[in-house]
Amino acid sequence: MALSAQVVSALAAIVGETGIVVSPEGRMTYECDMHTFYKGAPDVVVLPTSAEQVEAIVGVCRAHRVPIVPRGSGTGLIGGAMAPAGGVMVSMTRMNAILEIDLASRCATVQPGLINLWLTRAVAGRGWFFAPDPSSQMVSSIGGNVSTNAGGPHCLKYGITTNHVLGLEIVTGRGERLRLGGKAPDPPGYDLVGTAVGAEGTFGLVTAVTVRLLHAPEAVKTVLAAFRSVVEASQTVSAIIAAGMIPAALEMLDAAMIGAINAGTGAGYPADAGAVLLIELDGPRAEVEAQGVRAAALCREHGALSVSVARDEAERALLWKGRKEAAGAVGRLTAAYLLQDAVVPRSKLPDIMREMAAIGERQGLLIANVFHAGDGNLHPIICYDDRDPAQLARAKEANESLLRACIALGGSVTGEHGVGVDKAKNLPLQYGEADLNFMYRLRGVFDPRGLMNPGKLLPSHPACGEGFRPARPVLPEGAWV
Amino acid sequence: MSVTARSLGAVLAAVLGAEGLREDPAARAAAAVDGVTPRWVAAPASLEAAARVLALAHDEGLAVVPRGSGSAQELGRPPARVDLVLDTRRLDAVLEWNPDDLTASVQAGITGAALASHLAVARQWLPLDPPGWSGRTLGGVVATQASGPLRARYGAPRDALLGVRFVQADGVVTWGGAKVVKSVTGYDVPKLLAGSLGTLGLLAELTLRLQPVPETEATVLVVLRDLAAARDLVARIVDSSLQPSRVELLDRGALAACSLPPAAAGLAVSIATVAAAVRAQHATLVELARAVGGLVETMGPGFWRVHDRMLAHGAVRLRVTAAPAEVVPALAALAAALPGSPGRAIVGSATVGVVRAVVEGAEPAPVADGVERLREQFTGESGSVVIERGPRVLRERVDAWGPVAPGALALMRDVKSAFDPRGILNPGRFVGGL
Repeated sequence: MALSAQVVSALAAIVGETGIVVSPEGRMTYECDMHTFYKGAPDVVVLPTSAEQVEAIVGVCRAHRVPIVPRGSGTGLIGGAMAPAGGVMVSMTRMNAILEIDLASRCATVQPGLINLWLTRAVAGRGWFFAPDPSSQMVSSIGGNVSTNAGGPHCLKYGITTNHVLGLEIVTGRGERLRLGGKAPDPPGYDLVGTAVGAEGTFGLVTAVTVRLLHAPEAVKTVLAAFRSVVEASQTVSAIIAAGMIPAALEMLDAAMIGAINAGTGAGYPADAGAVLLIELDGPRAEVEAQGVRAAALCREHGALSVSVARDEAERALLWKGRKEAAGAVGRLTAAYLLQDAVVPRSKLPDIMREMAAIGERQGLLIANVFHAGDGNLHPIICYDDRDPAQLARAKEANESLLRACIALGGSVTGEHGVGVDKAKNLPLQYGEADLNFMYRLRGVFDPRGLMNPGKLLPSHPACGEGFRPARPVLPEGAWV
Repeated sequence: MSVTARSLGAVLAAVLGAEGLREDPAARAAAAVDGVTPRWVAAPASLEAAARVLALAHDEGLAVVPRGSGSAQELGRPPARVDLVLDTRRLDAVLEWNPDDLTASVQAGITGAALASHLAVARQWLPLDPPGWSGRTLGGVVATQASGPLRARYGAPRDALLGVRFVQADGVVTWGGAKVVKSVTGYDVPKLLAGSLGTLGLLAELTLRLQPVPETEATVLVVLRDLAAARDLVARIVDSSLQPSRVELLDRGALAACSLPPAAAGLAVSIATVAAAVRAQHATLVELARAVGGLVETMGPGFWRVHDRMLAHGAVRLRVTAAPAEVVPALAALAAALPGSPGRAIVGSATVGVVRAVVEGAEPAPVADGVERLREQFTGESGSVVIERGPRVLRERVDAWGPVAPGALALMRDVKSAFDPRGILNPGRFVGGL
């Protein structure tokens, strides 16, 4: 154990004997998140029950210059909640209370360990919901959603987590507990709430979150259309948007995923379909009815093999069944896979799907797809045989080629999972030296000692201080006197 | 190397060209900020020229005030120094517009009206309508995080800003965000820049999320007998499945300013969607209005233009923010705290939590007293009171921004000094004199 007994006993004094994990077996549980490639067990895990305890923990770690890694439910996909440099992991699972629900101001304040879906359950009876819906929402924590700026199928219409965070209480790497933002909009000064959402724990530990709640829509309409090819389905996506509709969700499955899902319990998708498009519209009933008819017509105009419109909640659930089973169905395709979440402008979906097919063919690997087509957020599942190291190498190569192709089309490295350790090395694809330098300096303001979730979100610093100076514009020399 | 003022002018002229640099007294006086006249007015025609101007200003320690249309030049504290006003209005191009992606990248000097007419052919728009939006530059709207009635449905500038290219204080051109509607790569730099009043960098290019223009919009005014009825109606709308695009509360003065019949209060509500749904939602709204004893009147398409004009003018404009449920009490508090001159109008975005008052012809002293009284109630997590416009003398009597909690302010100071260590960008004007 790398930590001194002094640090461990100081931490135990804060959280009590039941709030600390020091045994090797106990710490093993915390060595990775859902991206099991990356492993790093912390030297100690603490489970605080209050913001005051979190503040005290950060104080001890700062005094002894020990790294701090926050953790919610551990459902992240980027290696964000593991401890590559050891140190203290702060698990938020015991801070899971709903502190306040204020429907008149359309918001709630919760502790970070609260499970996403529990918030919606707490207000659903009164006709309200919390919009961010990552597919992990049954288990992921709101603190984790805030830290990764999580998305989900319905963010096409409703926006991602940051659009729903009104206020934060955060213990920064400077050791102070600050309350930023809140129910009232536009607090004077820099938008520190917006800046801190998605910081993946590198600015500090979030101890409370004020989130926006929305009134449930009057009606929901779900349409499922099967197409011969992903290209036709993608063109339909563009046509729906061009017709002035912003569906709540626009999800797509390709032939490989359709086969895998049909082979399971089965949503009964047409076996000859090359793509399935799931369209969900919500809002005022008359709007949803009119747009449902329009969307179905656009599917047919673009060569849909079949179009089904759910008539009731049971039929809606059936149409979603296959999509919800997608993650499980991957197991029928492969034992091992790489998954990423790069983004392209949605008008470039046909291009990237063609490119993806070519990359898969070149590497001799199956790439299956289930993704948020409406916002161009891909989720390629690159299948490989983990008994064959050469296949893993090819899978990694395919992954890199895909990322590059997405960026070349004007896209983004990650749309909703975040960076963590997994994609830190890829940031230079999207950002230049000056852009990254800006981020390093921003991080330094919130975490001057470099203790907060080190090794995450940004590539390791190429050269500290001098030597890392972005180019400044050249001034006309002749004019100098 | 330091150069004399005369040679500085020569360097600026070489960077900007004859059209891009004004040194004549008339141009300088027109660009004065709170009575402080700049030595130069620079209007670069390219990102490169803007970057060179800032690099030069940085090396020479010149205080730079970025400026769009100039409509927000009375926002904030009086400037500590003004050497050079950097006018962005020649940077007004639409760089990229992808209708299928509902995104556009524009230069920051384009006005709201110019972008609107560009996008109209595809029935798309950028639904940001802060007071005077049509003549304001988008760089200015984003830098001041200015919003209007449409925020009820579409959010603030921060929610529309996907990516931003900006020039740091030392002239380094920097990019943050992405050109797609969904990206979480690295820190959310656009959020830091939105609302930063040009104190961290010059906003040069903005990538924005657009929206489809709704098929139809209908607006009604619910005339109410008192503010209690207004509060009741807002609560009923919030807890209904209505999806209004604007919900604005108008006090007696605002109704008069919009040439509407006198009443204690009115709630203007717009529904914007397909025609059938507009009819259905309208019927629901009428029911809710009747339940609180309100009279429903149909407003013509020009109503929001009149509403906008009312807020865009006026010698003094205050903005109170509060939890949405406190909008009606905030409106009442403003009415009680401010001089009741005939030219006073108060309006509130009832589901958002932003209330504005415009005051004509009032002495600075009672307005300043009113601001201080309001701050006893709307401060910290309970909200804020900001002077969006007013004479320098008013903002010398009372801080234009109000207090920021010490810990947060210390963090903001360090953010500022990390990116503008010489303090050349808009010095003195932002919170805490940043």
